[in-house]
Amino acid sequence: MRLILEVWRQASPQVQGHLEAYEIDDAREEMSLLELLDRLNHQLIEADQEPVAFESDCREGICGTCGVDIDGIPHGPEDNVPACGQHVRSFNDGDTVRIEPFRAAGFSVIRDLIVDRTGLDRIIQAGGTVAVDAGTATDADALLVTHEAAEAALDFAACIGCGACISACPNGAAYLFTGAKLQHLALMPHGKMERGRRARAMITQMEHEFGPCSQIGECALACPANVPLSAIATVNKERLRALLRRKDN
Amino acid sequence: MSSPTADPIPLAARPAATPAPFPPTWALKVIMALTGSLFVAFVLFHLAGNLKVYIGAEDFNHYAEWLRHLLNPLIPGSGFLWAFRAVMVGSLVLHVYSGITLWVRGRRSRGNHPRKFIARRLSSRTMFWTGLIVLCFIIFHILDLTMGKLVAADGFDPADPYSNLIHSFSRAPVAVFYGLTMALIAFHISHGIWSVINDLGGTGKRLRSVVFIVAGVVAVVVAIGNLSIPIAVQAGILAVS
Repeated sequence: MRLILEVWRQASPQVQGHLEAYEIDDAREEMSLLELLDRLNHQLIEADQEPVAFESDCREGICGTCGVDIDGIPHGPEDNVPACGQHVRSFNDGDTVRIEPFRAAGFSVIRDLIVDRTGLDRIIQAGGTVAVDAGTATDADALLVTHEAAEAALDFAACIGCGACISACPNGAAYLFTGAKLQHLALMPHGKMERGRRARAMITQMEHEFGPCSQIGECALACPANVPLSAIATVNKERLRALLRRKDN
Repeated sequence: MSSPTADPIPLAARPAATPAPFPPTWALKVIMALTGSLFVAFVLFHLAGNLKVYIGAEDFNHYAEWLRHLLNPLIPGSGFLWAFRAVMVGSLVLHVYSGITLWVRGRRSRGNHPRKFIARRLSSRTMFWTGLIVLCFIIFHILDLTMGKLVAADGFDPADPYSNLIHSFSRAPVAVFYGLTMALIAFHISHGIWSVINDLGGTGKRLRSVVFIVAGVVAVVVAIGNLSIPIAVQAGILAVS
């Protein structure tokens, strides 16, 4: 199958990027989008041209490394599927497919399709970890977590930190990402101990680099980990809780 | 960095270059939710009052007069009315200030590549614009039917709100403008109520489903209830006796 790929080419953060059109004659339906880019790069290398820089790692949807905008949609046309799990079969023979890096002011392009997502790391650094002294290891069943709480926490812990929610957001907001982490840790016995402090620190850091939430819901449709949209409400819930409670926990 | 499409913030400089916004975004969202809730409550009471127009001129005018002396004799004269107006104006200022500030922050955080909405809810993407039009409408509406200045129909009589209303809506352009604005208010309210539950931290599944439905129902009720009045006036169902 034949596809025209319009790929964002940008040599460095300092130069202006542009879309460049390439033709792939032998794309196959079962190829993932990343394999399509691999195919393109083979072609470019054989023609002695610079290959397209893009990120990928596990290619099975659990690492959060890959991520590009396909025709303006983070990860690609299928909802809740990472780029590595999206397939060429979503397109028709002869289609033009626009491949761009994730877009947001908080995501500056490093090269081609690679963006700087360290803004997400800084939100995690601000409080997305458990930093209480938990002492020596206790018996595994000494701290009871209900099945419901564990399941709910896992729903939010599923976030792979890819940044698609931010690229999907018309406001460049990181509410789904931040809310997922806040909700996950708020449900866990050790995470609970820093709940207030964490909310203050992570939300302040989030506001440094990312925008406000307008409850549009694009983020939850793009999210490859299926993080529920209620995570966006968790942000203000945890912040208001910290405000009224005025304690670290 | 000279070109307009290059990313505006250099890699290393970003954290220092963007201080945490003040007032904090979460606080502005809470202000919008609280003031917005007040407005929705007001709009519902206003609707209840409006619908008295179908009972008759005397009843409608009596209700309007009652509003002016609300909570008498506990609060003398029009004291409550003016206190209420002060709260509403203050809330409006806060709501508009927060809305514009958040809109600007959203545009800035988005950067040079505006997101084309993939889906989904027309009401959410038009909040800023429906809000601006509703703001213009509020000014028009107060001049028209409260103060009787500039845009009011001829023969405005502060003591006869019923006739004022009929005369105003007898003007076709005013009836059309009013009708269109009610449709936009419905859009604004439906996404507004949905936003309230998010901004105030409603995460429960059942709560969110209920509020989602309530938002739609309230919007439709407000739109249909208020729209019926200019239509009834234009159709001749309501007239000055």
